[in-house]
Amino acid sequence: MSALLEVKGLSTRFKVEGGEFTAVDDISFSVQAGRTLGIVGESGCGKSVTSLSIMGLLAKGQGRIAAGSITFDGVDLTQLPAAGMRALRGNRIAMIFQEPMTSLNPAFTIGDQLIEGIRCHSDLGYQEARQHAIEMLRRVRIPSPERRIDEYPHKLSGGMRQRVMIAMALSSQPALLIADEPTTALDVTIQAQVLELMRTLREETGTAIMLITHDLGVIAELADEVVVMYSGRIVERASVTQLFDQPQHPYTIGLLGSIPKLHLEQSRLAAIEGQVPTPMSGLQGCRFAPRCPFADDTCRTAQPPLIDMGDGHEAACWKAPLAFALDVPTDNAAAGV
Amino acid sequence: MTNQDHKTPHSGTPLLRVENLVKHFPVNNGLFGRDKAIVHAVDGLNFELAAGDTMALVGESGCGKSTAGRLVLRLLEATSGTVWFDGEDLMSLKPAEMRAKRRSLQMIFQDPYSSLNPRMTVEQTLTEPLALHGLAKGRHRERAAELLDLVGLAPQYLQRYPHEFSGGQRQRIGIARALAVEPRLIVCDEPVSALDVSIQAQVVNLMQDLQRRLGLSYIFIAHDLAVVKHISSHVAVMYLGQIVEYADKKSLFAQPRHPYTQALLSAIPLPEPGAKRDRVVLQGDVPNPINPPAGCRFHTRCPHARARCAEEVPALKNDGGHSVACHFWTEIAASASLTPVVVQPPNLRLQKLQAAFQPKTATVLA
Repeated sequence: MSALLEVKGLSTRFKVEGGEFTAVDDISFSVQAGRTLGIVGESGCGKSVTSLSIMGLLAKGQGRIAAGSITFDGVDLTQLPAAGMRALRGNRIAMIFQEPMTSLNPAFTIGDQLIEGIRCHSDLGYQEARQHAIEMLRRVRIPSPERRIDEYPHKLSGGMRQRVMIAMALSSQPALLIADEPTTALDVTIQAQVLELMRTLREETGTAIMLITHDLGVIAELADEVVVMYSGRIVERASVTQLFDQPQHPYTIGLLGSIPKLHLEQSRLAAIEGQVPTPMSGLQGCRFAPRCPFADDTCRTAQPPLIDMGDGHEAACWKAPLAFALDVPTDNAAAGV
Repeated sequence: MTNQDHKTPHSGTPLLRVENLVKHFPVNNGLFGRDKAIVHAVDGLNFELAAGDTMALVGESGCGKSTAGRLVLRLLEATSGTVWFDGEDLMSLKPAEMRAKRRSLQMIFQDPYSSLNPRMTVEQTLTEPLALHGLAKGRHRERAAELLDLVGLAPQYLQRYPHEFSGGQRQRIGIARALAVEPRLIVCDEPVSALDVSIQAQVVNLMQDLQRRLGLSYIFIAHDLAVVKHISSHVAVMYLGQIVEYADKKSLFAQPRHPYTQALLSAIPLPEPGAKRDRVVLQGDVPNPINPPAGCRFHTRCPHARARCAEEVPALKNDGGHSVACHFWTEIAASASLTPVVVQPPNLRLQKLQAAFQPKTATVLA
């Protein structure tokens, strides 16, 4: 099966005072048609820059794709002229953002904004486009859409606005939906509504989703495959069950240990000490080595490649596959879980 | 003053008792602001907190949990109600007395980016409260270094400014500032929600260590129930300005009684793919607190609501130390198939590997 989206060796660099830094460093992954790929990582790991690179939304003169290719449906997006990209964006590839408060224009009704998008990518007349917009609002379960369509964004709650964003994104029946932290700004009961909506819409439309989030809970609920990013690189790639059952990269293991479990008594969380290195730090070896309890001299000097452990489970760690009984100093093990 | 005793709670009386706390914010509507409307931000809170305990106030945006925290410290003046701290009525204190009292009651804020003064060095930030309360005279710098050490930062950071630190480090500085005056109660308003997961775990661990070492009491305001379950001893669930359920952590999480608590718990996405559970997805949004629904405030979204719920306000009733404000909770509990997740067998390999992440200082601090 050929992939809908294939990212190969992508590096994105940003201009800063006195040079450039690499926000995304040589990453490769693919999204199959109708599947959901989760990209998980913490602030500054490069997950949002990845999505902006795919959408061609890097700020001109500041960010640039330094290497690699992004192939969508057989076309290399990095070589596409601006007009070609515009025709694709919001049409076959759509995107929803974290902030439903700021991604809608407050000066226009939601109808205006929906209809503009629909007419931009189709030859529907105004009335037809309006009917289609109402239909889309209904599909994202907005009550009385005929009335709501003429309201301004400030009249809607955060959950409603995110539904409008989803309606807008899906109105052109995209083959790929990029969702960047779609539920992070929402309360937990509203998040549950939006996640359920995304799940049903995915079944109805067969849209492939690239889901970017820091929340492993959201990943577990929605994703089929997962890519874990750390400091601009992919450190692990696996199916969702592999990742949660048999995580191989120490960062993934620490991240899973950092989340308090709702159904387990723990005395202490297995926090990852230290902090993410800045992109300018010029680290030689594995970027996680300074925080990794398993790191040795090899880890500190040479960058580990992403290696297949079998069954398509890949990890970028010199120690992988991490065995059951790794050499953990015993005093630590005793203090543990 | 050397009467600060961190260890022994006053036997019998709780450290903090809140009675019928109410806060109404007037908002001006209409032409020339003549039509007054009232936001019922906090509407009749009652709770107690024992020394050394952590009580969590949980709920979604706009439920009044942050307002409640500020009312306790009198950072906001309550419309009515009483706050007893250590047997003393805080509401009756004169402003100067209250300022002196704040030595015992401190606060940690959500946003470590805006809660530190960008023009003050860490040393200035940490020694200002010392000067204000006349503490550690003549040894401010040593005390500031001690405080940094207490929160796991090196003393060479004293001369730096907030912008030189990451979010997690800033939150540690915020904690050190609160600890500077040796408080007994700290109100923590979403102290970890702005932090990344791995940093969040560090700060949660730090707060627990400090509590054990210094005998602190926390009011922990949060929306993340998993964090709340980890850190608190008692939990109050708030909805539209009122407590709908209050219990010790164990019974609240094992047997949530209020339909809202049940929905909150089932709404959390679990980091376990394929976890089977009955999910209660609430419909609609939280109603406007200017005009809260009559009767039970939750009835507009409640899957179990009946006619009585729209008419009669349910009282918060205590049953075996577990309070709930719902007319029908016994029936709901009987019928609910709210068996939680099929708990997966513990992953021994993962536990062993994660043990390696336990900080080496953990045993020393505990």
